[in-house]
This record gives sequence, C-alpha cells and structure tokens, in this order.
Amino acid sequence: MHEVLLTLGFGLVTASILSLSAVAFTLEYAVTKVANLAHGEILTIGAYAAYLVHQSTGSVLLAALGAAVAGGALALVMHITVIDRFVRRGVGTMSTLIATLGISFVIQNVLVIIFGAANVAYTIPQGAPQQVGPFLWTPVEEEILISAIAITAVLYVIITYTKFGKALRAVAQNRELARVTGINARLVAAATWFLAGLVAGYAGFILAESVGTFTPFFGFSFFLITLTAAVAGGLGKPFSTLAGSIIVGIALEFTGGYISASYELAFAFAILALVILVRPRGLFTNARRTVFE
Amino acid sequence: MIQYFVSILTEGAIFGIMALGLNVIWGWSGDFDLSYYGYVALGAYMTLVLTIGQPTPPAEYILGLQLPYLVALLGAMLSSALLGLIIGLIALRHLRGIYFSIVTLGAVYVLYVMAGQYVPLFDGYNGLFGLYNPMGAALGLDFYTYPYFFLGFSLLIFILVFIFMARVSGSRFGLALRTLREDESAAAAFGRDIYQLKLKAYVLGAACGGLAGGLFAAYLSAFNPSAWSPIEAIVLYSAVLVGGRGNIKGVILGVAIMIVFIQESTRFLPGVPGYPAIIPAAREIVIGAVLVLFIRFRPQGLLPERRYVDRAPRDRVQPGVDALSPPASGTLDRPALPPLLATEVAPETQVREPLAQDRPVVSTSLPAILVVTGLYKHFGGVAAVDGCSFQAPKGQVTGLIGPNGAGKSTAIDLISGFKLPDAGTIVFEDAAIQGLPPHRISRLGLIRTFQTPREWPALTVLENVIMARWDPKREALWRGMVGPGRVQRATSKAELDLARAILAELALDKVSNERAGNLSGGQKRLVEFARIRMAAPQLVILDEPMGGVNPVLGERMAVAIEGFIAAGTSVIIVEHNLPFIERVAQHVIVMSQGAVIAAGPFESLRSNQSVIDAYLGEVTA
Repeated sequence: MHEVLLTLGFGLVTASILSLSAVAFTLEYAVTKVANLAHGEILTIGAYAAYLVHQSTGSVLLAALGAAVAGGALALVMHITVIDRFVRRGVGTMSTLIATLGISFVIQNVLVIIFGAANVAYTIPQGAPQQVGPFLWTPVEEEILISAIAITAVLYVIITYTKFGKALRAVAQNRELARVTGINARLVAAATWFLAGLVAGYAGFILAESVGTFTPFFGFSFFLITLTAAVAGGLGKPFSTLAGSIIVGIALEFTGGYISASYELAFAFAILALVILVRPRGLFTNARRTVFE
Repeated sequence: MIQYFVSILTEGAIFGIMALGLNVIWGWSGDFDLSYYGYVALGAYMTLVLTIGQPTPPAEYILGLQLPYLVALLGAMLSSALLGLIIGLIALRHLRGIYFSIVTLGAVYVLYVMAGQYVPLFDGYNGLFGLYNPMGAALGLDFYTYPYFFLGFSLLIFILVFIFMARVSGSRFGLALRTLREDESAAAAFGRDIYQLKLKAYVLGAACGGLAGGLFAAYLSAFNPSAWSPIEAIVLYSAVLVGGRGNIKGVILGVAIMIVFIQESTRFLPGVPGYPAIIPAAREIVIGAVLVLFIRFRPQGLLPERRYVDRAPRDRVQPGVDALSPPASGTLDRPALPPLLATEVAPETQVREPLAQDRPVVSTSLPAILVVTGLYKHFGGVAAVDGCSFQAPKGQVTGLIGPNGAGKSTAIDLISGFKLPDAGTIVFEDAAIQGLPPHRISRLGLIRTFQTPREWPALTVLENVIMARWDPKREALWRGMVGPGRVQRATSKAELDLARAILAELALDKVSNERAGNLSGGQKRLVEFARIRMAAPQLVILDEPMGGVNPVLGERMAVAIEGFIAAGTSVIIVEHNLPFIERVAQHVIVMSQGAVIAAGPFESLRSNQSVIDAYLGEVTA
C-alpha cells in the first residue's frame, strides 16, 4: 500500500508537468485546428533558455521566467511565420500538420548545431525528500506541483472568466462565426499561441529540472506522451485534456514502476489506441459514431 | 568513385520502391500514415531472420531459417502486408486525419520498442546481421562484381514496381482511391466502401514497404533499431511531396532530389573540423525547410498529378453554344437523351404528366419507393428528428420542406446512412435499409447529394461523372493490370460516350477536362446532376440543390429533374425555394421540429393551418 502511494506521488509530479504541456498543446489546436508537431520543441527551447539564464544569473526564478518567455516567443514566431499564413492561405490542416513536422526537424537540428547533440546536465539541488501526507516529495517536486496547480488555476480563470477567454472559446468553436461577430480571430489565435508557449516553455523547464539532463531531442520524446494525454482526454478541450493528462501521467508512473521504464511510452500509446478506438474524440467528450459525423 | 555511384544508385532504387509504396497510402488514398517506415523495418528484419540461420548465443532471434533470398523477400512482403492489414483494420475503421496519424505513430512506436527491447524477437538493440551478398555465391560473383549485380537486381525490382504502380495509377481502382482522397463522403455516397478500399491501398503500400525493406537489409547486410529513426519517414514524405504527390514519375524525381541528392550525396562531404554534427544537422534542416516551403508554395510538387484529358468532346461541341446559356423556352436546345434506363423503367413511371400546368393529384395507388416510419435521432438532449414518418411515391418528385432546424438534413443523413438512427424503420423498394452504411444504401439505388456540392476537386469533370458509377468488376485491382490501353482498362467506350452525352446535355461539355474544383458554384451543382444521371439510381435525394444558384441555372435544374423522372429515377428534393418546389414537385412533405406535420399536393398545403403556422405563414403573409 505504501509503495502504491509513493508511485502515485511520483505520478502526480509527472502528471503536473504533462498537464501543462498537454493543455498548451490543446490550446494551440483549439484556435487553429492544427496539431502542432513542433510543440515538443517549445519545451526544448524552454529547457535551454532556463539552463542559459540559470548559468548566467544563478537565479532559479529568472530561469523559470526565461523558459516561459523563450517558449512564448517561439510559439508566437511559429504562429506568425507559418501557422497563421498557412491557415489563411487555405492550406489544409493536415498539410499544415506535416509542415509543423518539418519545423520540428529544423529547430532540433539548429539546436544541434548551436549546442551539440550531447546531453546537457541540468542539475539543480533537489533537496532531501520530505514526507507530505502519504507522499514523498523533494522540495523541487513540491515546487513543480504547486506551480503547475497555480498555472492551471490561472489558465482556468483566463479561459472561463475573462473577455479574452470568451473570445478564445468562440474562435475554438467556430472561427468564421467568431469573426463575423467582430472578434479579431487572428489576434486571439496569436495571443493563445503565445500564452500556450509561455506555459509549454515553463513545462520544458520543470521537465528538465525533474529529469536532470536534456538534449535537442528531449522535447520531441516528451511530446509523444503529451500527444497521448491530449488526445486521450479530448483534443482542443483544455479541461478534458487536463483530466486525460492526470490519468496518463499516473498510468505512466505505474507502468514505469511496475513493468519497465522502457515500455512506458509504448504502454501509453497502447492506452491511447484503445481510447481512440472506443471514443475517437477522447474520453471526456460526448461525441461518437461513424466517420461522417 | 564508380563504387560510390553504384552504391548511391542502389539506394535510390530501394528508396524509390519505398516512396512508391508510401505514395499509394498518402498520395492516392490520402492518409498521413506515420507507421510506414515500420513496414520497411519489418521487411528488413523478416528478410534477415529468414536467411541468416540459427542464432549463435548470446544473440537470440526468432525463426533463424536459411531460405533462399527470393523466398525471404516474398516472406518480407507478406509479413509487412499482414502487419499493415492488422494496423489498418484497427486504424482505418473510424479514424481519419490527425487521429489516424496519431494512432499510426503509436503503432510504429510500439513496434520500435518491441524490436529494441524485446530481445528474443530481433535481438534487441544489437539488431541482426549476416546477410552477405545474397544470391552471389550461387551466381559465382565475387566481392567486386557483386555490387553491380545487386544494383541491377534492385533496379529490375524497382522497374517492375514502377510499371505495376503506373498501371494502378491509371486504373479505375486508382481513380477510386483518389475519390477517397478528394472527398470521402461523396465517394461513399456513390457506392464506394471506403473502409475496404482504404484498407486495400494500405496493405498494398505496406507490402511495397516490406519489399523495399528486404532489399535494404541485403544492401546493408544488417538491420537494427538505429537504422530506424523518425527522419527516415520524414525524408520519404518530403520526397513524395517535393516530386508530386500522386504522380509516380514525380515521386521518383522527389526521391532523386531529396534522398539521392540531398540525403546521400552529402553523407560523404568532408566534415567541418571539430564539429562533426554540423553536416548531418544542416542536411536535416534543409529537408525540414524544404518540406515547409513546398507545402506553402508548391503543394502539388514539381510534377503535379496529371489527369486524363478527353479529346473527343472538342470536336462535337456545337459552335456558338454558350456553355451557360439558358435553354430556349424551358427545353434543351439539343436532342434530349433517351431515358438512360429505358428498359428497366416500370410502365407506370413512363406515363408522366406535365409538371407545372395541370398538376396531378397524388394518387394513393401509386407505389411508394421510400417509406419512413417513426424515425428518431437525438443529439444530446435535442431530438433533431422526432418520430418522422412519410412516404415518397415512385416515379414522382417529392418536395421536402420545412423551416430551418426542422430536421430535414438530419433525416436525409439518416435515410442515406451517414448518421445512424436511434429508432425507426426506413424501407426502400421493399428492403429495410436503416442502419446500413452509406455505400450499401447507394448500391441499392438510393443516392443523395449534399447541401454544399461535394465534387472530387482534383479530378476532371468527366472523371467526376464516370466515377459516379460504381463498377465493382472494373474497380478490382487486377482489372487495372490487364487489357490494352489505359482508358479501356478504366472505363468502357459505352460508358465514356454516355458520360460525354450527359455532360453535353447539361452544357458542361466545354469544361469536361477542367478539374472540378475550379468550377463555379453553379457549375458544381450541375456536375452533381450529371453524376446522378450517370449513376441512374432508383431514387435520388437532392439536398438544397438551389442553394446559391441563379434563376437561369435554376431553370436548367428544373429541366434536369424532369430528366431524372424520365430516366426512371424518382426524386426527393429538399429546398427552401418554394416556387421551385411548386414548379417541380407533385407531392410535398412538410417537416417541423423533427416530425412531418403535413403532406400532399402543394395547393392543399396552402390552406393547412399548421403548415402556415410552422412555415408558410412567414412566406405568404
């Protein structure tokens, strides 16, 4: 029982990193209907930015901020230079998806040229594990958990209560209709990508913090889990995605702990395949039936 | 130097086969399949375990046979085809677009982890090796002459695959795949079983990948998970995209540029001292950037997919006839076609009263072609169709009207199988059809159109019309392989003439070689009418055919609808344009809030209070 709770505790840490990444991904999808396969690179940039800022200033807080800003900037640049243009030019969403795969490779390899392909060790003193209720967490893990909950709460408030959030939901539901009611859909989409980039950049920082090392390809492998969580929950629906992330995050930790860490991702995909087959639009949505509906 | 060219050409031939396989799945069938490289890898692994003999410990792997290489190649193809069948059966059933891509990504990842982690399968990360110069010993080739032989062998297989694909490309099967890529709903509406067709294409592509994998294994003499990175799949996709998706010559050009030139030629460039990673990284940057730029600026690729150009109609167009001029005095200014299904038309349907003038009273003795009883469909808490019951008489035009949100479109979706009813029965020509998939209903002779025209944009108008007729014999894969002449394999002379005649009747003959996507909205409507004429169903359901159509074209449509009846096709027409309904329909059904509130001749509805309340009131007031 004790061991189960411990694993659950680690699972919650994984889940909190995962939910930030997945919610950001789902927001990008919601306003443009483009699944951004270069989303992982936003996390990677966040990790590198945090590392560089941390090296030069020695401040963890500034490092976190640097990660978020770098992530936000990258997401905004991606949106302005590629996604928005493609969407406006009538390039289909599937074609744009393929383009994002190209972007992902460009960014990874630019990073390889600048920083080399080798692992960058990012060691932050984790501190001694403390007993919190039934769980065992280090101070860094507590930070990760608390910051993730806080960011999720802020996102919740933004999406649910602000005027921007209302516009975001309108664009997500029907971009054309939102436009004819006077919403500047392009601006809302750009702002949403920036916001998602901030969150994803920060997720890259806490992921690097908890893993301890990273490479130019580190975001991409985490992106595969992100994708699983977002789709299993419900793509384009922030709160469904959040629920999916928590389940997938905890499931991953249990697979890693009880079966084998190397099968983690394969297992996640197996779950996803099952979920998609039963409920093609995600677990926490209410759509079903034939390919035409 | 010469060895270098031999080696690059061999690789080019092998990657060419891979790209041709991917082109079937992505270029023709239109599925962005991320597990494709998994089929190549499986083919390579299977070739190795079928040829290299028993493992020597500590190595372990399955089978370990010593079969001849050619048999192993066949085994590789079959195993990849089988895996493709399994993954396709799961992923193609309900999933499209991004969901399909994600599941295939997951599938290939599971496969990758299995190959790398589960040692007893293919010896884990060590991988397999030991396939040296297959067939070389038997042919008495030495170390120096073997590469030339293997180049020849790879080229031979490549050319065979190319010829095969060229045949598929021009076949009716190839055209049917493209209808899926262009518009799946329309493909199903005209009788194509999209699941089965997509599955066939998927397995064909996977087998091709397996074959290429078998050659690749012999070329490398080994295979392990490090030969299997995501970049391989991306390079293949970029090759197909750059060359020209769907055009097999383009695909080969793409392989020459992206793989032979960029990927492989730079492999032997002198490295930058101290920075060994720069050249490979720069290469991948180029590949990624080319992918993005081509999608934006030249999505059709360097050699766009070519379409069949029909020469014949040019000679027969009468000079001075404007393609869009209204027909004189409501009739066609050229000889009308004989009823297309004259021999099959039941006698009573040939006796046709004039439409607009003295309207016939709907006789209850007329047999019904469609009987809908108690149809029910809800979305969440909203009952879109709520106990809808009606009949449509055979050989007549039935108008289905009602205010927006009355449930007309949902009812059509339910009748045509595009949505599943929660309850109720639908009887078409004495057969219960509720719950059948769209293609089955279409094959029974009930075809529907859509509110927005759903042409197959990249196919020509003529091809759109020909492909409206589902021809199971001609659409079989093997049928594209045999017989003289491309056109003869894909269609018949009679069919081609019929399509030309229909296009001429609808004054579309001048645009018959135009891609349907380039037509105006009104012309696209007429193409839908031409497709219905070609398919010649027992019943057609027209969903708001007048939407966005000018009155002149409307007149031609009215004539075309009379033509349907003359050809033995009963008509149900959903329309908001009531004068048009009054002009063409002998029988009118009024829906409101998901149910039928009145039915009868148009005049009888004018005095029906509930109809006036629900709908007509706002028009006639």
